[in-house]
Amino acid sequence: MEDFLYEVVEITQAIWDGLLFGSTYALIGIGFTLIFGAMGKLNMAYAGAAIAGSYVGLAVSMFFDAPIILVFAVSALVSALMGYIVYQTCFRFIPTHNHLAALMASVGGLFLIDEVIVLATRGSPMNFPALFEDAYFEIGPFGIRGDLIFVFFIGLVSTVVLLYVLFKTRLGMATRAVAQQDVAAQLCGINIHRTNSITFSIAGLLGGIAGAMTAAAVGVLSPVIILPLTIKGLIVTVIGGLGSIPGAIIAGLFVGGFENFFLYVRGIDERDMYVVALLFIFLVFRPNGLFSKTINRD
Amino acid sequence: MLKIKSISKHFGGVKALNGLDLEVGEGDIFGVIGPNGSGKSTLINVICGIYRPTKGDVTFHGQTLSGKPTHQRLKTGIARTFQNIRLFPNLTVWQNLWVARNSVEDIKTESSFYRWFGKSIIVKKEIEEMLEFSNLENRADELASSLAFGEQRRLELARAVATKPRLLLLDEPAAGMNKDEIRDLDSRIRSLQLQGITIILIEHVMELVMGVTDRIAVLNFGSKIAEGNPQEIQKNEAVQEAYLGYSEDD
Amino acid sequence: MDFYLNLINTIGIHTMLGLSAYLLLQTGQLSLAQAGFFAVGSYTAAILTVIFQWNIFPAVLAAMFLAGFLAFLVGFPALRVKGLTLVVATIAFSEFVRMFFYNLKWRVTRNGEEIGPDGTMGFAEIRYFSDNGWSNLEVTFFLWTFVIIVMGIVWWSDNSRSGAVLRAVGEDELAASSVGINLTVIKVSAMTAGGFIAGLAGGLYAHQVTSLDHHSFTVLLGTFAIAYPILGGLSNVFGTLVAVIFIQGLLVEGLRFLGDWRMILFGLLIVLAMNFKPLGLFDKHTIGIIKKVIRV
Repeated sequence: MEDFLYEVVEITQAIWDGLLFGSTYALIGIGFTLIFGAMGKLNMAYAGAAIAGSYVGLAVSMFFDAPIILVFAVSALVSALMGYIVYQTCFRFIPTHNHLAALMASVGGLFLIDEVIVLATRGSPMNFPALFEDAYFEIGPFGIRGDLIFVFFIGLVSTVVLLYVLFKTRLGMATRAVAQQDVAAQLCGINIHRTNSITFSIAGLLGGIAGAMTAAAVGVLSPVIILPLTIKGLIVTVIGGLGSIPGAIIAGLFVGGFENFFLYVRGIDERDMYVVALLFIFLVFRPNGLFSKTINRD
Repeated sequence: MLKIKSISKHFGGVKALNGLDLEVGEGDIFGVIGPNGSGKSTLINVICGIYRPTKGDVTFHGQTLSGKPTHQRLKTGIARTFQNIRLFPNLTVWQNLWVARNSVEDIKTESSFYRWFGKSIIVKKEIEEMLEFSNLENRADELASSLAFGEQRRLELARAVATKPRLLLLDEPAAGMNKDEIRDLDSRIRSLQLQGITIILIEHVMELVMGVTDRIAVLNFGSKIAEGNPQEIQKNEAVQEAYLGYSEDD
Repeated sequence: MDFYLNLINTIGIHTMLGLSAYLLLQTGQLSLAQAGFFAVGSYTAAILTVIFQWNIFPAVLAAMFLAGFLAFLVGFPALRVKGLTLVVATIAFSEFVRMFFYNLKWRVTRNGEEIGPDGTMGFAEIRYFSDNGWSNLEVTFFLWTFVIIVMGIVWWSDNSRSGAVLRAVGEDELAASSVGINLTVIKVSAMTAGGFIAGLAGGLYAHQVTSLDHHSFTVLLGTFAIAYPILGGLSNVFGTLVAVIFIQGLLVEGLRFLGDWRMILFGLLIVLAMNFKPLGLFDKHTIGIIKKVIRV
């Protein structure tokens, strides 16, 4: 009986921690879904740009001993800039209907970013400052990690700000207009290239925050996390429903909790197989994801 | 041959087709006209299986078509052209006709392996005949996208005929054509009728419809408001009202 | 000499990998599953020759059939989804296969030695060629016989009705189904054929490199698989071959002296190529020009 209760506590703990960490996946998922909603395309370089931004944020903290909030801000801004660059180099000049070429171009961009990071850091992982790492509350048998709460909180604030921008500002309205009918939007005088660049930049902002969040929660920054982050982000986007922000949020949290549960129960080698299996189940029963709407659905 | 029984097609609140009844006899050239938005294109899409009707049924030779996906309806002998030409742009003229050879007859005459990987003499002959019929003999190896507009329209028609249909649905084939081209299209449609193909002609261009059809149905707001031969339709008040907003007697 | 033979072998295997993606790409489906089928082919063939002591020829054929069959099974559910969802689904499938083999442990003792896949340690000692006295030249000929056959079959498909139908589906699904083409049959067939080819390539690969590691079968490989036909153009088999020679020969091997800067150059080249020639380096337009030049 004692053992059983212990297991229940540990499993609940794992799910809870995973859920909080899942807010990073939620942000990455929102990023992918934003770009998909706006252009119907996939930006494979996204997580790369996010992590690259986090590296610059780390550099800032190392050279200037800056407060953590600045690290996050720098990560976000640099990733936003990189998102803009990725748009200009990989998406802007390729004909809209040609999905393959844009995808390949962004894959090329991913290789490029990855290699630059590897070269700059000589391939060794670097420590990332964690905030509130000593904060730890206990409620009965459960522990609540302060750093994860902080990470979750940042994710929450970012999402709220994003939704505000999308639904309460003219910029957001232009983005949604382009997502719905790009030709008509152009005819109304909206410059779609400018709007799309801004969408990519906003997604980049979120990515940079997510990258910094992941690094802060794990304590380490390394280019090897780019690919798994990309894959998990994509899985979250699909499970949540392409183009749906609420979907990405719920799916992100869910996948976070789910994967941590399996990490506890089956260990790190098998953990990711279960996440993939989860995706397959969704594809069979709900191929359009949780919410198959686009950003503009009010 | 083709019976459309009380077909309704709703898109949310919009009733594109509203309880439509039509019957097309074998060997007819049957015209369907009506103002924009009257449901003409929706009708073709329902017959071809692209839209599932909200209510009603379509039967072909007495057998219902409901539940049959588009490619299967083709196999029962129904072919169509598209209002906005949908050729395969990066395939040659020859290839556009080649890929359309999916009729039951074709499957029976050639063995599977040959049909996919070979090039028999029958195939060569039939495609060449189609090219001749469409005045496209010396364009066989050109990409479909490099064809002039009139040539593309002829190819679109030829491709539909290459499927060896019993019933051919033409969706505004004369759009954008000049008088010579319309005359040419008229004689083509007649020769197809002589080959035993039944034709449903959806059109706006009145001189073509009035000239070539045996019977015409007029749609407005998804329902049939008149049916008859061309002379009867031209005199029909309801038709005049629908198109012009008034009739001769006003 | 050995170095060049190795390079030639790699080019051959990657050409087959590229061609396995080529057919499905023609139908407009973007699938990153080829790495998964490749992995299945590799491990199956290796297990058959190492643990069950099969001859290489039936082992590679068996690997091919198994991978093809798997592609057939995966095809039905996968091709119900389109676009981005398919990309993610196939990435996930590929990763699943990789993780499966990462965890596969099947050790057998023979002649006092332990052989077989060893979970996270990989699968080493695939020594069929050396154990049976094959010279490196013989290996290359053996491998390239398959490559040429595959190229021939795909080339034949391109020039026959099946190639035209595949491309028709890729260009306009609505028009294709309206002329009687059964989209599902075509797409699943393309996926299955791709699985066969990738499995064959994998089986040969395992024996050429003599040891397998899960790092070889990541999404990166799947990306290479689609990069070759996209860069080479989807209307010509030789485009894929040229793309492979260019990427493997020039970038991977030829520019080794650049060290890690190679990948940066590689990424840059892809970005540039896609911007200037979005239909691939050997699209119909370019081939037309090349034909005219040769005639002159």
